Amino acid sequence: MAGELFVSDLHLSESRPAANEAFFGFVEGPATRARALYILGDLFEYWIGDDDLATPFHAVIAGFLRRLSTSGVEVHVMHGNRDFLLAQAFCEASGARLLEDPVVVPAGGVPTLLMHGDTLCTRDVDYQAWRSQARSKDWQRRFLERSLQERREAILALRQRSREAVKAKPASIMDVDPGAVEEAFRRHGVARLIHGHTHRPGHHVLEVDGRRCERWVLPDWYGTGGYLATVEGSTPRLVRFS
Amino acid sequence: MNLRHLWKPLIVLSAAVTSGGALAADPQVDVRTSLGTIRLELYPAKAPRTVENFLQYVKDGHYDGTVFHRVIDGFMIQGGGYDTSNRQKPTRKPIPNEAQSGVKGGLKNEVGTIAMARTADPNSATAQFFINVADNTFLNWGDPRSDGHGYAVFGKVVSGMDVVNKIAKVPTGPGAVAPRDVPRQPVVIESMSVVGGK
Repeated sequence: MAGELFVSDLHLSESRPAANEAFFGFVEGPATRARALYILGDLFEYWIGDDDLATPFHAVIAGFLRRLSTSGVEVHVMHGNRDFLLAQAFCEASGARLLEDPVVVPAGGVPTLLMHGDTLCTRDVDYQAWRSQARSKDWQRRFLERSLQERREAILALRQRSREAVKAKPASIMDVDPGAVEEAFRRHGVARLIHGHTHRPGHHVLEVDGRRCERWVLPDWYGTGGYLATVEGSTPRLVRFS
Repeated sequence: MNLRHLWKPLIVLSAAVTSGGALAADPQVDVRTSLGTIRLELYPAKAPRTVENFLQYVKDGHYDGTVFHRVIDGFMIQGGGYDTSNRQKPTRKPIPNEAQSGVKGGLKNEVGTIAMARTADPNSATAQFFINVADNTFLNWGDPRSDGHGYAVFGKVVSGMDVVNKIAKVPTGPGAVAPRDVPRQPVVIESMSVVGGK
């Protein structure tokens, strides 16, 4: 079954041993039998720069991916809203290739649009403003110039503010905007989209300009976790860990 | 937007940090013993589960106050399982043996390397480890004289090999935990810590 596996929103962190153990089991189990593994954002709870590879936990995670990639499985990593500073040194340590967002790849023999998913949440205007700031060269340069400790503190403060902001937002704002989804299908001319970010796993079928399109949303690993598997000639399969 | 362009400054920055040597992805651990300090470098890219397991025991303070209880000069020094009162310390569940992928990645039981101790069951390693003081090729996965599974190497001594050799040469004999090879004066691991760890 040498197809592709898709995961996102693992949010790996030293303080979440259950998710880490699920990840170790996944990369030593199902992932070894895949042709390619696509991590569509937020592999880590947060990533404050590649120099944080010096943290043993991060080196261990990169090590698990390195062994997988060395064994011949392609490993692709896309930035999420938590780990958008993953860069070259992480790729060298893990053997992963950095994916652009959005990108179209063949999955199960079907051209498939991959996204983290945060750019589809266009109704969350505050978040989109923050995103465009944080993805700017200037912001990243200034952020990375600070010490690891300062960056860690800044991210913790940011997460606290974000948690408070999320509490104050209606759930509908946090989900994808249907118009943005349709626009993505239209712009990329595909009939299948896979993304994460919203923590609302599922399979949605919609019609765009008379074409049947399907959107697969990946599960987060805060709960039991899981992945999507694509194999040529078969319907994608959403697998949840029990 | 072309993201490759966006990331160019970061790649340059990363390269600069790497050339300065500050971006070592291989964790190091200081083992402070009653005979001196040994610094280990661990290899998560070749033995990720073993490194993760070892680091967790380090972080939990499991090794603090344990002894090298099996010392054979010309072979290896083994420790991390018993405290100074010869009581076996409780462990987490065993880990799978990574000897095969380790050997394929170049990790072999050579002088100065650290590997996981285990019982006859190949997947029974918990906390006990040993440091080789000889090239023990018969402990490698794939060696015709091995037990077919091998012992998983996951790091090596980068400084303090003199301390390792000093431990290897301490007088041994029968003891509370084994009928032979037990140091007559306990060699204690006073503490272990990740170098530069938080």
